[in-house]
Amino acid sequence: MKWGLVIASLIIAMSMFLYQWPKLKKQQKKEKAAFLSLTFLGLFLSVLLIFFPEMPGPTQMIDWIYKPLGRLIEK
Amino acid sequence: MLEQGKISPVQMALLMIPAIIATVLLLVPSITAKHAHHDLWLSPIWACGTGFFVVFLSYKLNKLFPEKTIIEYSEHALGKILGKLVGGIFLFFYFHATGIMVREYGEFVSGAALFHTPMAVIIGTMVLVCSFAVLGGLEVMGRASEIIVPVVILLYILLFILLIKDLEVKNLFPIMEKGIRPSLMGSIVPQSWYSEFILVSFLLPYVTNQKKGFKWGLIAVFIVLFLMVLTNIMALLLFGNLTSSLTYPVMVAARYISIADFLEHLESIVMAIWIAGTFIKITVFYYVLALGTAQWLKLSDYRPIVLPIGFLILLQGLWAARDLQELSHFLATSGAIYILSIQVVLPFILLLCASIRKKLGQRKGNKQNETPVNH
Repeated sequence: MKWGLVIASLIIAMSMFLYQWPKLKKQQKKEKAAFLSLTFLGLFLSVLLIFFPEMPGPTQMIDWIYKPLGRLIEK
Repeated sequence: MLEQGKISPVQMALLMIPAIIATVLLLVPSITAKHAHHDLWLSPIWACGTGFFVVFLSYKLNKLFPEKTIIEYSEHALGKILGKLVGGIFLFFYFHATGIMVREYGEFVSGAALFHTPMAVIIGTMVLVCSFAVLGGLEVMGRASEIIVPVVILLYILLFILLIKDLEVKNLFPIMEKGIRPSLMGSIVPQSWYSEFILVSFLLPYVTNQKKGFKWGLIAVFIVLFLMVLTNIMALLLFGNLTSSLTYPVMVAARYISIADFLEHLESIVMAIWIAGTFIKITVFYYVLALGTAQWLKLSDYRPIVLPIGFLILLQGLWAARDLQELSHFLATSGAIYILSIQVVLPFILLLCASIRKKLGQRKGNKQNETPVNH
């Protein structure tokens, strides 16, 4: 099941690549780099989330930072 | 400029209205009711000051830096490194907020209609549709909102009219039983929604007439205020103090409608309103995120990074919280302060720094009537 999800996210990444890559012009080096790095970031994150779904995320981080203030309006 | 398209001031207002109300309609009445009890209809009125202030802030910033979005001028106002940092905070914030938004959408749809569909599929299809709208550009989004938003607002008001015979006006009293404090405390969460009007500062550079854009921004705040008060009054008159224990008061209210045993099960209207509204809402946030990232990285076009960002939004949506309770609790406590500090305090500091720099620059006499130069 987990490997199936990994394959699914690979398929998503591949289809994004196939859609977007031919539209990029040759001189758009920076755009290509940004596209590739964001795609790989997404793949990396998806694999992490598939194997560790309970991993604390940005919400937990923000909650931790703002907790002293948030407690003031808690009910 | 990354975006060649232009939108009219009215289109900007029509993009902003669902960008605020789409999630307010469902989650916020019950969060507000926890603090304000039967004064919950007063809370949006206290909170709307934040909305006006934020629209004013973005108009002032736009006057100082015309044709630039907040990501671009934070570098002009604070210098290169600090500006990049502030831009990065904004981008992280919009990434996080968009993830929370798609999750709210997913939780609502899976809780109300598609019980067995995996969350990733519900969120993924929505993000896919939104990414097509974002790829189309700002003009496409503006025209889509012109078609969708009036219908959404009309349907919503129709819902209210159909409920009139079930409303109990005595639930409204006593007004301000425990003074003004509960309703003020309840206004903090609506304020965090009003602060999303800072998105105006991303759209204003592409509006054909900035002055009219400012006026229509204020009109948008009024319409949001009206709809929020209407929602809260409807929930209060229908459920009284029960409102705080319901997750989606409007949805339950729509189930309540029964006219002549014929007009029933109108919750599908709420679903339609909600899905059309969140479509615009997610599209606006998604667009701002893609455009902002492209400007932050100084790319020549934002379209190449739209799809990878959509993938990241989908993942962040799954990552945002374990369940709706956790999400709703976050939005009612530390989340509200977080949203306010990023969307109100940070732009305010930006405006202060920018105007001080401009004053200093004018005194030196170099480059009059120009934006401050970078170090």
